[in-house]
Amino acid sequence: MTISAERPVATSGGATTTTERVSWTQRPGIWSQHLGTAIVGAIVGYLLGHWLGNAIASSYPYIQNSGQNVIAVTLGEIFGVAGWLLGIGALNYPLAKMAGRQPGKEVDVQGWSKYFRYSTNHKTVGLQYVVGVLLFLFTGGLLAMAIRTELLNPTTHYFSADTYIKIVSEHGTVMMMMATSIVVGPLGNYLVPLMIGSRRMAFPRIEAFSFWVFTAGYMVIFSALPLGGFPTGWTGYAPLQTQAGPGMIGYLFGFAVIGMGMMAAGFNMAVTIINYRAPGMTWSRVPILVWSLLATSALLTLATPTLFAAGVFGLLDKTAQTAFYVNEHGGSAYLWQNLFWFFGHPEVYIMALPGFGIVGEILPVFTRKPLFAYKVGAAGMIGVALLSFFVWQHHLYQSGINPDMRPLFMLTTELISIPTGFIYLVGMGTLYKAKIRFEIPMLFALALYFNFLIGGVTGVFLSDVPVNVTVHGGFFVLSHFHYTIMGGLLFAFMGGLYYWLPKMTGRMLNKKIGLWHFWTMFVFFNLTFFPMFIIGLLGQPRRVFTYAKNLQGLNDFSSVSAFLLGFSFLIFAFNMVYSLWINPQKAPANPWDSRGLEWQTANPVPSYNFERIPVVLSDPYRYSEPGAPAVADLGDAGLVHAAPQD
Amino acid sequence: MAKVEQGYTSTPEEEEFELRAHIGSVWSGGRLFIGMYTFLLASLAYTYFYLRSSNSGNLWRPHHMTAPMSFGWGIVLATALAGVLAVYGQWRFRRGGVADWQVAGWTALVLLVGALMLQIWELTKLPFYPGASGYASSFIGWGVFNIATLVVSAYWVETALARGMRLRTEIGGDRPTLSTHPSAQSFRANVASMTYFMGFVGVGAAFFFALFYLI
Repeated sequence: MTISAERPVATSGGATTTTERVSWTQRPGIWSQHLGTAIVGAIVGYLLGHWLGNAIASSYPYIQNSGQNVIAVTLGEIFGVAGWLLGIGALNYPLAKMAGRQPGKEVDVQGWSKYFRYSTNHKTVGLQYVVGVLLFLFTGGLLAMAIRTELLNPTTHYFSADTYIKIVSEHGTVMMMMATSIVVGPLGNYLVPLMIGSRRMAFPRIEAFSFWVFTAGYMVIFSALPLGGFPTGWTGYAPLQTQAGPGMIGYLFGFAVIGMGMMAAGFNMAVTIINYRAPGMTWSRVPILVWSLLATSALLTLATPTLFAAGVFGLLDKTAQTAFYVNEHGGSAYLWQNLFWFFGHPEVYIMALPGFGIVGEILPVFTRKPLFAYKVGAAGMIGVALLSFFVWQHHLYQSGINPDMRPLFMLTTELISIPTGFIYLVGMGTLYKAKIRFEIPMLFALALYFNFLIGGVTGVFLSDVPVNVTVHGGFFVLSHFHYTIMGGLLFAFMGGLYYWLPKMTGRMLNKKIGLWHFWTMFVFFNLTFFPMFIIGLLGQPRRVFTYAKNLQGLNDFSSVSAFLLGFSFLIFAFNMVYSLWINPQKAPANPWDSRGLEWQTANPVPSYNFERIPVVLSDPYRYSEPGAPAVADLGDAGLVHAAPQD
Repeated sequence: MAKVEQGYTSTPEEEEFELRAHIGSVWSGGRLFIGMYTFLLASLAYTYFYLRSSNSGNLWRPHHMTAPMSFGWGIVLATALAGVLAVYGQWRFRRGGVADWQVAGWTALVLLVGALMLQIWELTKLPFYPGASGYASSFIGWGVFNIATLVVSAYWVETALARGMRLRTEIGGDRPTLSTHPSAQSFRANVASMTYFMGFVGVGAAFFFALFYLI
């Protein structure tokens, strides 16, 4: 079906209004379901589960030196998450559905309280995610500061070796979980319907579920600390996993819970993109960010079940005394590594692809040029997503792999650099001979290309078995993945926030403070992590709190830079508070003169996104093209032509 | 006539567009859900073959230990039959046999609940302890996954049946198989996806029965 440009105009006289009864759980006010009831639900659930665990398994062996009954801890976590979801209202509809009921009308709650509720408005969920991922980021960042503080001196210690590895583990796990959702959650949920011309997400309840499960996962992961932490790093390798205390349950169950959120988010995103594109939004007109999110969603939906299964097997080893990862009882510690990395390597691209999607949106706007080789870029993203399922064993070059298999996985790993190169060249081609406007989003986009080049080239080295064998388990690898994830994804995310927050909040972020934020973050990021390549080549291993005395100078340099890098995030936080609350400046409707469909709707975005479902007439990247067709027909609002040209 | 909803109006063309998008979402969502579930079950199958081929300490399956065969047959037959009934019910539903679909659906639901009970009961009657071998661990993993699968399947069948019972009054007495009412179209898409999933569950149950009981 196509919606023609000449559409009947609705008149108030011809309109019908329906009024429906609103359930008490949906009513505004304190006597309904919100964050408060979720917290109560989580506490009551945890206590109930813990009591039940002790009651049914009182004779069960307690974990050595912890005084904890493993069944009680596990049931406490499970019931705690269930109580959280029950309290926030996530289970209302699934339960009502058993009686054959359809969902009631959503109440469009106004004001701040909507951000503390189970909202099914994709824009509210997007902003909830912004706060959620920043909370993850800042707590993970504080743990990073603790790590760099410990590494200031190889002999004077602030933490014990045991505490240090637990801080490292918590930092890695929190950051990885955050990074998988940092674009899909906030920007994806907010922007995808706007970019494809839809009034809604396909499954708004699943979307809301993904956020509230994500927050539950955050708490489960942090519950590992009071339970004694876990000593395995973020990769959770067996047999250390099997030997670890009750904190390991927080890790395993936390990954399973976050995994559910990831699957739900990816599922909803993919279905929305496939089905809710506005008339005229053909696959060759889909914005590059949406392409990247579609590829990411495929990975989230298909790779995450393996992580979920691996986590369940780990929990069964802990609670039911199975032996999936116990060699002595017919299991295999390498099984964990295979299952974990079958998810873990696609996860790398879950983190990388949305970053490239963001900069793919930013570059044409600030160069006033079409996106170079758009179709090649989209094909590159799909190619990366497909190939990412065939490279996981390069993480096992030195463990659990037949040495004869190494060349195969070396080849597949190097193959993936080809579609990645496509995506990179799309950016370079767009920048070629461009008159660049150096606004803050553009600076972050350019920084991504600089950082990712270093991260990507070192990645090619690491895919080669001889180099990998030499630098494996050291700071070289650590620096490589920080360059790709932090230098790539996080810089893109920051660029995306500066670019789209005016749309999301109706406020411009302060440019001067933003410039301070960018330059401190860019300079000190490189000063923190580049020395780590050298430290790694000189032989310093990861996850060890002491090191050779001759490496102290480089470590101190890196630590001081890391503190200043941490300070750059405080500048960002200050900018958010200053620009949104202290001195808010109203954002123009389209501050960057973008052709993107998301910028063509009213500001602030109404709850229904578009007055009329738009008819898309051309792709959004035809900048500086004489006679370029209009972007879309917005019905009553008329045709939207290209933004002013240079 | 335009319809007012949450402060905006929808033209009939827009309503039709939204309905098609919704039905497409139910259709593609159902298939994607099966894809997701396939990867979950494939992880278990990978585990089975990995531990079997590793055979750590010759402890993959000492003395060819096997879970109780009677339980296995009971579970797989009940699950597979539920799958067949769902497919048959959908076949009749498409031809206007709403009552046939309901009878097939309720029977499938009873079978799924029965299989669930048998699966839980079986886990209390195993002739080996969970960490006895690679096979034993994998089997416990299958038990847990199968319980989850049966709960999800039973939930989907039950909610479809419950929705079907309410639908007739909602759409003014029309038959849901024929009505062009949006709720009826959405319902038909849901039933089709549910049937597809039930077929998948039946095949999956047979596959894992062969792995754990026959070979």
